[in-house]
Amino acid sequence: MKKNDLKSMGKSFTKYILIIGALLIFLDFTFHRHEYFSFAEIYGFPAFFGFISFVFIVLLGKWLRKFLMRKEDYYDQ
Amino acid sequence: MISNIIPGLIMILTSFLLPTIPQYFRHPAMLLSVGLSALSLFNGYGTFLEWDVLGLNLILYQSDSLTFPFSIIFHIAAVLVIIFSWHSKNLMEHMATLAYAGSAIGALHAGDFFSLFIWWEATALTSVFIVFAGNTKAARDAAMRYLIIQVSSGVLLLIGACLLLYQTGNHNLTVLDLTTDFGIFIFIAFGIKAAFPFLNGWLQDSYPESSVTGTVALSAFTTKLAIYALARTFPGTDSLIWIGAIMTAFPVFFAVIENDLRRVLSFSLNNQLGFMVVGIGIGTELSLNGTVAHAFVHIIYKALLFMSMGAVLYRAGTTKASELGGLYKYMPFTTIFCIIGAMSISAFPLFSGFVAKSLIMSSLGGMGMVLIYFVLFFASAGVLEHSGIKIPYFAFFAHERKSKVKEAPINMLIAMGIAAVLCIGIGVFPKYLYQILPYTVEYQPYTIDHVISQLQLLVFAIIAFLFLVKFKLYPSEIRSTVLNSDWFYRKMLPGIGKPLFKKIGLLTELIYENLRFFFRLILNKSQKFSNSSYIKVTTPSFAATILISILFIMLLIVLI
Repeated sequence: MKKNDLKSMGKSFTKYILIIGALLIFLDFTFHRHEYFSFAEIYGFPAFFGFISFVFIVLLGKWLRKFLMRKEDYYDQ
Repeated sequence: MISNIIPGLIMILTSFLLPTIPQYFRHPAMLLSVGLSALSLFNGYGTFLEWDVLGLNLILYQSDSLTFPFSIIFHIAAVLVIIFSWHSKNLMEHMATLAYAGSAIGALHAGDFFSLFIWWEATALTSVFIVFAGNTKAARDAAMRYLIIQVSSGVLLLIGACLLLYQTGNHNLTVLDLTTDFGIFIFIAFGIKAAFPFLNGWLQDSYPESSVTGTVALSAFTTKLAIYALARTFPGTDSLIWIGAIMTAFPVFFAVIENDLRRVLSFSLNNQLGFMVVGIGIGTELSLNGTVAHAFVHIIYKALLFMSMGAVLYRAGTTKASELGGLYKYMPFTTIFCIIGAMSISAFPLFSGFVAKSLIMSSLGGMGMVLIYFVLFFASAGVLEHSGIKIPYFAFFAHERKSKVKEAPINMLIAMGIAAVLCIGIGVFPKYLYQILPYTVEYQPYTIDHVISQLQLLVFAIIAFLFLVKFKLYPSEIRSTVLNSDWFYRKMLPGIGKPLFKKIGLLTELIYENLRFFFRLILNKSQKFSNSSYIKVTTPSFAATILISILFIMLLIVLI
């Protein structure tokens, strides 16, 4: 019972976020979004930029573990 | 009469009196002192107190449109910290916190570099006791490193101030540039406290080691004082744009893999300072307003996030992501407050971060700085990652918790509640924040373009997070240490220094041994010689022989 709580919360959260995401992309087609730089006015550009940036940050961070991660007591040794 | 008292001084004096005040009245007394100090906010702008000493005219109390917003927020932060620590009986920490907040407020009102130096060092000396109050070996060690770095910053500031006085005959706070040697000294002094890249190690080293309540106090003052000082003396310095951009981007990678959530927040703090530094570098009225607005709202939501993690530490005993999760059931209010802080720092529309960050982004966009604009846009996704998602997700959700914990004490909830209300209040009614900014600029953050653009960025970054978790690509929490720039003085320098000094020691010993042998030889020979029948008659023959031998050797050396 307990485990289902978090899982069902996660599922409904995912559902709503996807709906909002779809809505935001849809909204982009309904008006001309003015930006400081013309290429950022492409449909869904901020969405694409946000998604790619996030994935890039997480995956690069994960890769950096190879160089930056040490044992918890590293400085005590 | 109160109008001539340096703001903050009354808080410092009260901190000295705290031991004489019964425990029950300490917090009210602390609040009262902040209230009395805050009366200075009604004084208006001008110079209120000067002091001629040793031929120098020190401006001890001045205020203008730049000090005003900082002074307001420093007073608010002091109030939040006092309420948040109401349950605590740690006298040393209370004294240090009140004196630290008072020193920071005093520093804002200094009108010359020497007065600033005094307060600059006062913030260092008072805050080190807050780190000490963490009361673990790690905290004590971190406190010593913290002290060395902070005092070094002060010394550089003093050198810069002396050079400035010597070369220009002026020591008042004025706009400087990096073409002068004093400018560079002062720039680095400020840069240390503003946690510039590679000068930032002290921040992530010390803040997370402090106590439940101490970190909240630390997060508010030192770095924002440095931002104020940079805004006052180096507005429009181009290199700050690049320094700031690097500051926004690089800590996000460290924050992804850091396990201690209070350390994650310290990396996040560093990233936020980057936005402010970029604003100073651009140097327009809009961007400087952006920097001040960002510092203002940042102090509140960062304090809120540190308070929520402090509450978690207080109740669950740790802030390590690898050992947390599922706290939303036991600490529902703390969870909500933390999420409000997380949404504010991530700059969701209707939250305070949005109305402040927009000013800086708009000034970048308006000047056509495309690369920096997108570095900051990218960093915004980074902020969402570590502060917006990682902090609340790993502390309160992630997985079910086996053991029960209590909700945070009422005083903590009140402090977090006030901060949360401010976060939303400023986000919904930004005009009140804009009114207190240094320059009068008409600005409307809530345009449809801006709101949709920001929401797309944030919502799709959240979708990316869900995608990474779903496909098990999101890095799991591992108990570990993440190397940072403090590695250079904690590992590299001792690593080089220790063997080097050992070798130098051995070499010195060798030289000493040889010299001893050599002098013994001279001694023996001269003893023999002086006892011989040739010069037996002269009285101080022994001493003379030694002297003559040494002179002879010296002569030889000179000739060679």
